[in-house]
Amino acid sequence: MLLTQQSLGWRIKSALYLITGSIAAFLAMPIFFIVALSFGSSQWLVFPPPHWTTKWYERFFDNPQWIDAALTSLQVATVTSIVATLIALPASFALVRGKFRGRDYLYSLFTLPMIVPVVIIAVATYSMFLSLGLTGTLVAFIISHVIVAVPFAMISIINSLKLFDKSIENAAVICGASRLQAIFKVTFPSIKPGIFAGALFAFLVSWDEVVISVMMASPELQTLPVKMWSTLRQDLTPVIAVASTLLIFLSLFIMLAANILRKRSQ
Amino acid sequence: MTTQSSTPLVTLKLLNKEYGQFTAVNHINLEIEKGEFLTFLGSSGSGKSTTLSMIAGFETPTSGEILLHNNSLIHVPSHKRGIGMVFQHYSLFPHMNVRDNIGFPLDIRKVPKPERDKKVDEILKLVQLSDFADRRPNMLSGGQKQRVAIARALVYEPEILLMDEPLGALDKKLREDLQDELRQIHRRLGITIIYVTHDQDEAMRLSERIAIFKDGEIVGLGSGTELYNTPPNAFVASFLGNSNFLKVRIKSESQAQFEQQLLTLGTQSHRIPDQTDVLLMIRPENIYVLPKEQAAQEPLAADMNEILATVEETVFLGESYTCTLVTQSGQRLMGKAVAREHTDVTAGSEVCVRWSTQHSCVYEQWSEQDIMKAS
Repeated sequence: MLLTQQSLGWRIKSALYLITGSIAAFLAMPIFFIVALSFGSSQWLVFPPPHWTTKWYERFFDNPQWIDAALTSLQVATVTSIVATLIALPASFALVRGKFRGRDYLYSLFTLPMIVPVVIIAVATYSMFLSLGLTGTLVAFIISHVIVAVPFAMISIINSLKLFDKSIENAAVICGASRLQAIFKVTFPSIKPGIFAGALFAFLVSWDEVVISVMMASPELQTLPVKMWSTLRQDLTPVIAVASTLLIFLSLFIMLAANILRKRSQ
Repeated sequence: MTTQSSTPLVTLKLLNKEYGQFTAVNHINLEIEKGEFLTFLGSSGSGKSTTLSMIAGFETPTSGEILLHNNSLIHVPSHKRGIGMVFQHYSLFPHMNVRDNIGFPLDIRKVPKPERDKKVDEILKLVQLSDFADRRPNMLSGGQKQRVAIARALVYEPEILLMDEPLGALDKKLREDLQDELRQIHRRLGITIIYVTHDQDEAMRLSERIAIFKDGEIVGLGSGTELYNTPPNAFVASFLGNSNFLKVRIKSESQAQFEQQLLTLGTQSHRIPDQTDVLLMIRPENIYVLPKEQAAQEPLAADMNEILATVEETVFLGESYTCTLVTQSGQRLMGKAVAREHTDVTAGSEVCVRWSTQHSCVYEQWSEQDIMKAS
């Protein structure tokens, strides 16, 4: 028997609604909290805020350090997203289409960065870049972010590639297109939503990344989460709430876009 | 039939395909004439689709040869074979409208725009889709999609059109309409069509010749009439249409024993040694069922056989009146040629069952699986 909504009594139904609602509220609480604080007048992050103000936003946008950090974050996330997608795309093709020994192991290897604790990746990449003298550079940020972003891009692309009917590509081939032409003219355009969703996920991973970034950062070059972290250690200011709010909203926006694209690719 | 031309268009020579231990296509030989409509008919896993895929170039044969105009195709990549193909699930390009889908083969061949547009318009008219040219595939019905796919496969005028169960996903009415359209297109363009289906009605309706596949081999090849009236083996007899099988023992050159009676056989049995057990096949529509009294009034013609049976069940189907019969030794038969006025042919009544010797076929070798109708 299926447990459908209609088959439940109103008591159970309302209880379920209540529980679901509470859990959702519990999960969303920190976000509401931080957004409210970013508009609160209290220097000490008093809740509920005694008055409402936008002066912390002015502080944020007047401080070149914050703006630099935000721009660095955008820059790193954008390049990471592009590089990760360019790596994930051919890798996904090999893993979905290829028939070779050790394919499953290769897939595990590619998704390993999702499972390995980030701290370990952070320490490993830090010591590597340290010996190369690259710490505190954009390159170091991007390479280390790409490592953790690739699996996310790949999962999305692999999914859409698996859903793609290969006979469509074969149709292009029998129409006279070479395999490569068929892939570029037919397969890629068909799975475009999946590729874009993958790119957006990769962007998000980089945008939110803090553990690795703390290691890679220098006083001159830091991403937004790193800047928040270091500011937080010095003093408590509502400007951090502002930075958090901006971070959250860009993330939410991208998440939404990625979800819409993913739905369209199915 | 089209057998007078000197070399066939396509020749398959000992074509073989193995996947590990499994033999999908077992050393088949086949010649396909220019302009013919040939159907590969078989159940799933019989090797028909694999054979088609090898002709298209999507599968590489394990061994054997595919010749087009006497030139080997084995090392020619799919996109240079100049073959058209229609797939089961339409396989239209989702990001292009109907016009660009159909124009794709011409665009790949860098056909100049005016000529390209002219050809696309012509073929749109042929498949009656001119009004839908600017639509995306997801805005079309199943039948329209498949017509676009056919148009796309025909627009660059390939010599051969391969069709892999193209109508399988459509409902019955639409399927029959498209079958008629397809036959017309074949007549008008004179193109060679190789068609794959598991639907015997479709194969009969469409094709000039049918190749029946079983376990990777072609077990029957000929026109629908030939294969139906004189099936080459018990499998084909049972696979195509309905059939009755009687186990009989050869007694002399043209006679066999069934229960206590002697039956006259056709000319096929002349070489078979006496005392051999053989299988006799008669189509239900060739089995006449008569009430005993009437049989007494109608003398048995020289080329007719007669056995006695009991009616087990009768079914009135409008165009025919079918009855299931049981012989004395318990073998079951189905008879369709029951005259309507014989209302006294009812369950339990004893009847005479007659058929003409020219309507029976004799098989020396068969397996029980062959004659069990795969349902």
